[in-house]
Amino acid sequence: MASRKKVLLKVIILGDSGVGKTSLMNQYVAKKFSNQYKATIGADFLTKEVMVDDRLVTMQIWDTAGQERFQSLGVAFYRGADGCVLVFDVTMPNTFRSLDSWRDEFLIQASPRDPENFPFVVIGNKVDLENRGVSGRRAQGWCHTKGDIPYFETSAKEAINVEQAFQAVAKNAMAQETDVELCSEFPDPIKLSGDNNKPQGNNCPC
Amino acid sequence: MASEAEERQRLLRAVKKEVKQIMEEAVTRKFVHEESSSLTSLCAAVEACLLHCLKKRALGLFKYGSTMALLQKLSKVFEPAAEVSKLVSDMESPSSTELSGSRKSLDNNKNQTKKSTSSIPSSPKFLWLRVAIFHKKLAKILDYLVQNSSKYYEVEALIADPVDGPIFASLLVGPCALDYTKMKTSDHFWTDPPADELVQRHRIHSGNHAFASPGSPKRQGLQVRRDASNAQEEARDPKTFHMSAREYVESLHQNSKLTLLYGKNNVLVQPENKEALAGYLSLHQSSEGLIIMWTPNQLMNGCCEDSREETDRSQYWEFAMTIYLDEVVYIHCHQQPDCRGTVVLVGQDGVQRPPIHFPKGGHLLSFLSCLETGLQPNGQLDPPLWSQKGKGKNTGKVFPKLRRKGSRLSSSTSSSSSSTTSMDEEEATDYVFRIIASFKPDMLTPEMLDPKAPRSSHSPRNLPNSTTPAAPEERAPWPVRRQLPPSPLVRSSVQAYALSQEEQNESCLVQASNDATHRYYDYINHIKQLCDIMTKQIISRAFYGWLAHCRHLKTVRTHLSGLVYHVIVAEDDPIDASDGLTLQAWDKLCCDGVVKDSGEVYRRVYYGGVCHELRRQVWPYLLGHYKFGSTPEEREGLEAAMGADYEKVMSEWLAVEAIIRQRDKETVAANLAKLSQESTDGHIPLVRKDSSLSNEVFVSFESEELSRPETVVEESSTARTTPSSDRKTSMELSITAASTSSMGGIDRAVGTETPPVAIVKKDSVHRGPSQQESPDDGLGGSFARGESVVIESERPKTDSVGDSGILTPMTPRSLPADVTDRIQMTAKLSVDSAVEDGGSVGGGLDSASSTGGGKSRTGSATDDGEQLHQQQGLGSGKIEGGLTVEKCGGPGSRVQEYEDALVSSDASDHLSASKESLLSPASPASNGGIYSAELLDSVALNLHRIDKDVQRCDRNYHYFTPENLEKLRNIMCTYVWQNLDIGYVQGMCDLVAPLLVIFNDESLAYSCFCQLMKRMSCNFPPHGGAMDTHFANMRSLIQILDSELFEHMHLHGDYTHFYFCYRWFLLDFKRELVYDDVFSVWETIWAAKHMTSSHFVLFIALALVQVYRDIILDNNMDFTDIIKFFNEMAERHNAKQVLKIARELILRLQTLIDNK
Repeated sequence: MASRKKVLLKVIILGDSGVGKTSLMNQYVAKKFSNQYKATIGADFLTKEVMVDDRLVTMQIWDTAGQERFQSLGVAFYRGADGCVLVFDVTMPNTFRSLDSWRDEFLIQASPRDPENFPFVVIGNKVDLENRGVSGRRAQGWCHTKGDIPYFETSAKEAINVEQAFQAVAKNAMAQETDVELCSEFPDPIKLSGDNNKPQGNNCPC
Repeated sequence: MASEAEERQRLLRAVKKEVKQIMEEAVTRKFVHEESSSLTSLCAAVEACLLHCLKKRALGLFKYGSTMALLQKLSKVFEPAAEVSKLVSDMESPSSTELSGSRKSLDNNKNQTKKSTSSIPSSPKFLWLRVAIFHKKLAKILDYLVQNSSKYYEVEALIADPVDGPIFASLLVGPCALDYTKMKTSDHFWTDPPADELVQRHRIHSGNHAFASPGSPKRQGLQVRRDASNAQEEARDPKTFHMSAREYVESLHQNSKLTLLYGKNNVLVQPENKEALAGYLSLHQSSEGLIIMWTPNQLMNGCCEDSREETDRSQYWEFAMTIYLDEVVYIHCHQQPDCRGTVVLVGQDGVQRPPIHFPKGGHLLSFLSCLETGLQPNGQLDPPLWSQKGKGKNTGKVFPKLRRKGSRLSSSTSSSSSSTTSMDEEEATDYVFRIIASFKPDMLTPEMLDPKAPRSSHSPRNLPNSTTPAAPEERAPWPVRRQLPPSPLVRSSVQAYALSQEEQNESCLVQASNDATHRYYDYINHIKQLCDIMTKQIISRAFYGWLAHCRHLKTVRTHLSGLVYHVIVAEDDPIDASDGLTLQAWDKLCCDGVVKDSGEVYRRVYYGGVCHELRRQVWPYLLGHYKFGSTPEEREGLEAAMGADYEKVMSEWLAVEAIIRQRDKETVAANLAKLSQESTDGHIPLVRKDSSLSNEVFVSFESEELSRPETVVEESSTARTTPSSDRKTSMELSITAASTSSMGGIDRAVGTETPPVAIVKKDSVHRGPSQQESPDDGLGGSFARGESVVIESERPKTDSVGDSGILTPMTPRSLPADVTDRIQMTAKLSVDSAVEDGGSVGGGLDSASSTGGGKSRTGSATDDGEQLHQQQGLGSGKIEGGLTVEKCGGPGSRVQEYEDALVSSDASDHLSASKESLLSPASPASNGGIYSAELLDSVALNLHRIDKDVQRCDRNYHYFTPENLEKLRNIMCTYVWQNLDIGYVQGMCDLVAPLLVIFNDESLAYSCFCQLMKRMSCNFPPHGGAMDTHFANMRSLIQILDSELFEHMHLHGDYTHFYFCYRWFLLDFKRELVYDDVFSVWETIWAAKHMTSSHFVLFIALALVQVYRDIILDNNMDFTDIIKFFNEMAERHNAKQVLKIARELILRLQTLIDNK
């Protein structure tokens, strides 16, 4: 039988300022886009209930400030994260290049159990804009070198691919969770033999 | 007519929106809570529609604009309406069935829905609508109404409209099909109700006073007491019944509203004329007091069993009991020898509840001890149970050793004489306990002493006696109702009354031996001993309590006394300052433009704020920009100096900005060239737009190297690659060369000052002021003007270019002119022949083409290409220095010209540019230069960030039009240029914005911003040490001023850091409040610095926490919930109230410190 236990997934959105973290979060959770968002100060989060592999999961999505100086206060938010969404702006190559440092910083601060396989997702946002600066192949390549991180090209404005990207992070985070249960001391044998153990493929739509 | 139609549409839209909302809620949450805010707003929308063009006579005599009268009219002719009407009237006139107390105690469960609706006393307006929705009748009623609209409505009414009316009615079909619940399930908590819903709920439940007195020590619960009276004749709709049954059983368990104190199964209750039934007895603690519930086993054992038994079991609901302990005055306990016990509860009206029989074992006792614990601290059992130490069965409580209840027969004449019975040791089996309220643990406080305490003459220490019928009543926090005078009809009550008198004398344990109790002298001694022990314990506890309090005060004094000034400035001395600084008051204070009485200004601002028209004048004083006592002339002088200074600084960074743009443009060009080179080997000209596509083709993974040059385009200071930095240094080299050459205005500066940076400064110093006088006079002046014109016209586009990085021609638009100028001027410098070429071309051409020319010419020669770049950098550098008259002459037209030329020639030019020339610098050496690469990088990064945030700053506020955003940007850039070590940190824009709104003057806003930043800059990371101090202070303050909340926060996660306050402190609440409130909060903060505390922000934060403390506590919010709550509450706070509370908190702390 499927576990009736509610699952809370904590997902952090990281990326340079202005890449559209807040917009992505709001597009995903509230299905709306506004061009009125201000620069995020501190942190905010929204929750959304989603079905992942027949389990009801509450995603707690944390939106953070983009300026790296605010990272010092991110520690409290990163702690206990189950997934991380790295966002860059496809029209701004430098936002893509800082993904490295965002990822490293996150792994240092959140110090997850299994950094190699921590469920990241990379989002190249703003594909609705024309002046593309980072090619899909380049982003894809980076993701590949970092352990096949799923890569999505989205537009928070046009609601392109947003759902899929977050669904992927939820799915991967759930898979991790199940894995953790596997090796924990008190496994629930019934639960484990069942669902949630499907191999995770590369979720990239490209 | 048209407006009527519009109105109809508006009403209909509102209903549609609300219906959508509630249906969504039903989908996302699987059910809708009866108290959901969306339901309330739906009712409001429906009500509005119903009221639309309602015939006057249908409105009836109801004074409030309610449709209740309409319902009553309908109920005469339409059956469903009649049902709803009946339900509503039942609800509105409760307690008519009070007569039979036993009936009352039987909590018939079928009234659940009904009760819940009546539990919303503050919104009776929509009561019938709610009821109709809950009972799925509303759609029918509306349908009927639409069909018979002519009777009740004017022709133009929404309801009467042939199209809109039926639409309206059918809209409500959906909501009427939903199931509503009042159940709190785990689901409910998981779905995180939004902040406004929480606030609304809180308002509904706690009435008005909770918000008015946030500091009240006793918090309001969410539990609304159910009215048990009007239970019986509820519709027996099996579905509702079933649902409420489940709810009921659910409510017996521990849940958010009720704490389960005691539970025992198989407790027998003997209803009237029936045989005893076994059931589950539970004792619950709600915020209203204790509730005893008993439910027959038949109902408990799986309420969801097959429906075959449904009808059978339903009769048991008759017997289920819910007893509110505050209605109970006496508890009669009968203990059988075999350790079984019976409890009979007697209400204040003297009515006995059915006896409750406890099974064997100390269940009765444990029930009583739970009860006693539950009653504390606001009530207690009289006599109290005794703590038994060691001996006996348990370590817990035992019955007090009193005389047997049998004695009551002899003392039933309500005397205190009594005590005829012998002390039969453990055999004492019958007791009567009285439930009394007490205010304080200390029972002997004067207020507890009833002056009319009867008959206890022999007892010098009067027991607090609250049973005197005639005693005027104090408001007890936990209400104890007066008992009625004993009625002869209710024997037990009389007995109990008498007995209680007697017992209380007894149990006060003091001098009961005065009268006939000598026989029990030893027994009394024993009591005395115990009493002594208790006294000691109490005293020691009191002592430790006092000690803790002292320590606590010490903490306050050592840690917090620095937060507030010790001198209390009164609000109404010499005159009431709550009106704030009004125009009249300002006129009075301002003699001939000189304001001397700073104290009065501060006091008025602190207590009442500044009148909005005055803010522009007063704020500079408050911020310390103007000195009190300064003359208008002095201030004007200051303004002029500041203005000049501002201009000067601005021209500096504008110059740097131009360099940066040029640099960016080059790299853009370089990238483009590189890309085209790579892909087509220079044969096919690339159309700009295409490159976004071609990008994907060209850039392969191994091309890390190749893609590096992009770095220069962006400001990311991280990961600079060698080629680019080399290029920059080479650029500096050439700039240096230029500055040493004797050219234009530059050599003038060079003559005086060696450090290259100062060159620019010096120039601008001269030229800033001269700008006004004569454009021709100072080059810099004209430069500055021309420059800003160009920049302003282009910024919006530049931003998009910044994003796009590569392809649009706008960014360099201002630069071609510069470059051309430079090329012309530096022709003599002739570092390279290519420049000469460029220069010659530049006479009529744009820079891009000249660049292209240079490049194409030197395509094979790497050195040449590099030098060309140097020249470009040099060009812009010199422009900053203050440039050519000809440029000033007609920048606009030239720019246009250049741009056109650029667009046309660009593609081919870039095409021909060789990749090598960009990637391998030839002259990497050289140090020095006007601006170091680091500086440029840093400025570029900051500018980029500023641009990003300025664009996003308060876009929805009317003031921030593009040109005002431009001002904001200028101020921001100027500040950052002056404070490059701090740099731009997100949030600074938010601090400038309100100042700019008030002053609408760049240089004044800038000066005041600098003043403001003296206090604020230490909040910003990475130097944000002040933030931690704020958090630590918050922690101490909450601990001192609201310990309950402090405890809660400690229990719920990591509160060592008050992250939810982060934005508050960083931005002085700018994001938390709407603009008008920001103004008043800010000026209060500034005034407070001179009045009560330089940490006024702390107290505002504290006030915000206080306002919502009940919501935080009631909803058991943890660390993340609070962050979310306050984020959602942003711009919805009541600033006036918050400020008032903040001032009160300061006063509280001041007095606390004063008390020593």
